[in-house]
Amino acid sequence: MQGFVATSLIGISLGAQYALLALGFTLIFGILGVVNFAHGGFYVLGGYLAYSAVTYLGMPYALAVLCAALGTTVLGFLFQRFMLDRVIDDHLATLMLTLGLYLMVSSGILVVFGPQSPAFSFPLTGVIHGHGFFVPIENLVVLGVCIIGILSMYGLIYYTDFGRALRALADDRAVATAQGLRPAILFPAAFALATGLAGLTGALVTPTLSLAPHIGDPVLATSFLIVILGGLGSIGGATVAAFIVGMAEAFSAVYLGGSKGALALFVLVLVMLVVKPSGLFGQRVRGA
Amino acid sequence: MTARSPSMRGDLAEAASVLAIAAAFIVPWLSQNPMIYSLANQMLIAITAAFSVYIMLRMNLMTFAVPTFMAIGGYTVAILGLRHGVTDVLLLGLASFVVPALFALPLGALVLRLTGVYFVLVTFVLTEITQLLLFETPGLTGGSNGLVGMPAVTLFGLELADNRAVLQVTIGLALAGAIVTAAVTRALRQHFAAIEENELLAQSLGLVVWHYKAFGFAIAAGVSGLAGFALVNMLLTAHPTSFSALSSVNYIAYAIIGGKSSMLGPVVGGALLIWAGDLFALRGEYSQFLFGFLIVVVVLVAREGIVGTIHRLGVRVFSPPSRSSTVASSPTVSVPNAMEPLQ
Repeated sequence: MQGFVATSLIGISLGAQYALLALGFTLIFGILGVVNFAHGGFYVLGGYLAYSAVTYLGMPYALAVLCAALGTTVLGFLFQRFMLDRVIDDHLATLMLTLGLYLMVSSGILVVFGPQSPAFSFPLTGVIHGHGFFVPIENLVVLGVCIIGILSMYGLIYYTDFGRALRALADDRAVATAQGLRPAILFPAAFALATGLAGLTGALVTPTLSLAPHIGDPVLATSFLIVILGGLGSIGGATVAAFIVGMAEAFSAVYLGGSKGALALFVLVLVMLVVKPSGLFGQRVRGA
Repeated sequence: MTARSPSMRGDLAEAASVLAIAAAFIVPWLSQNPMIYSLANQMLIAITAAFSVYIMLRMNLMTFAVPTFMAIGGYTVAILGLRHGVTDVLLLGLASFVVPALFALPLGALVLRLTGVYFVLVTFVLTEITQLLLFETPGLTGGSNGLVGMPAVTLFGLELADNRAVLQVTIGLALAGAIVTAAVTRALRQHFAAIEENELLAQSLGLVVWHYKAFGFAIAAGVSGLAGFALVNMLLTAHPTSFSALSSVNYIAYAIIGGKSSMLGPVVGGALLIWAGDLFALRGEYSQFLFGFLIVVVVLVAREGIVGTIHRLGVRVFSPPSRSSTVASSPTVSVPNAMEPLQ
């Protein structure tokens, strides 16, 4: 029972991290129709930006996280505005472009920081003891920030003019543009929002897990899993699917061991793609 | 040069590709240098794997599943050699082609219903599953240890064990892959072009699209399997890391950077990028930066890749000065574009 509680907590905090990542991924697909292979790259970049800010500039960790999120936001904006936008209607071209960016980011980090994991640890340590189980404080802080991030995203998308504009563009770009919405600004802004979320997650999570140039690969794979499970482009679906994947990972790691859980999830996703590409909840999906 | 029809240009490119790979037989005859052998091995394996991407691109499908079928081909050979004592290179070569192709048929029935981004995603998921399966089935694949200590392959009882013989086997497999790719894309050029242009229209005009897609997918899988055999034969082990999900990115890069509209594209792309990677080779990972950069350049400014761009420049230089009016008056003589189907 105690093991069950502890595992559930791990699952929930993994789920929250995944949700923050997957929201950005699904947002980019839903609004721009782009499968962002560079998403894992922005996650890693966020981690390294925060690490550099703390280590070389002596910033406090919280400020470093903000800087990392800001840095990845700006980079995402520029990348969309000056590169991606030129081929935005060609799905395979956008995919190749983000793939190219990912290769450049991850190998660039390798060249600059070297292949070793840098020493980057969470500033708060300590453990809260519950009734027979314990939770590291860092996990709770990360969980809290992730939940705030997820809620702010929902607020932004569903309750602001900016969010309404984005949803209108996702719904029907031609009509939305004719109504006076400007994709030239809104598309890069949406992309920047998503990459900023990936950077934020990276800056938050890497000190509690690990930081190395190639940690973006599994992040990308997990983001794929979640957004396909939740239905590509669906925000609600991605959030729920993130918690499902987080829980499944935590429980299979504790009770099954090895990668059987991951294998089961991937097979589920394969079947899902083939049988029901609209995802678990069957929302309308953007055609591709 | 401008007067040639696209299909004739395709024939030329296919013949040139097959000849270029056949010409690689000179390398083991001329040189003893193990560095050159290693480079030639890597290039030919890269080119063979990129052919597989090229075949799928004929149908406007971008596949990440090349490592999956390479793994099936490679592990088939390793298991046959280690557990069943099969060492004949012709038998093994046949098996490394046929087994992945047979796997591809039921898989194709599932995944070929998807197009565009969804096909990309499903093939990416497939390679991730392959990785996990290789690790999770130690009884069959040796798990994380892989399969080591395969016996040397033989040709009519003759052992092909030294460096030169290994390279000759790789060249033979690449040549087989090139001939199959050329034969299939040549025979089905119009069918594939119709599918690439507009699948629904092709179907409504009476083309049984599903047959051709399944056939193309199986052939692409078989060609990947040949590359897997060559890789396993070169490394003397079959290990999951040889078939990682992200290695598929490299094979796509070879085909796209080389030029996806002609069979010479994968040949030029594979050879040049492996050579460039070797030139940069302080560490293998640095070449990834180069690949990434080149992909961005190709997508943004040179859609046709290296081969297509050279061809376009050649057309511009050698055509008469009134080129612009010629282009305007007859669309069939237009500058080749990577997005155009009939190449």
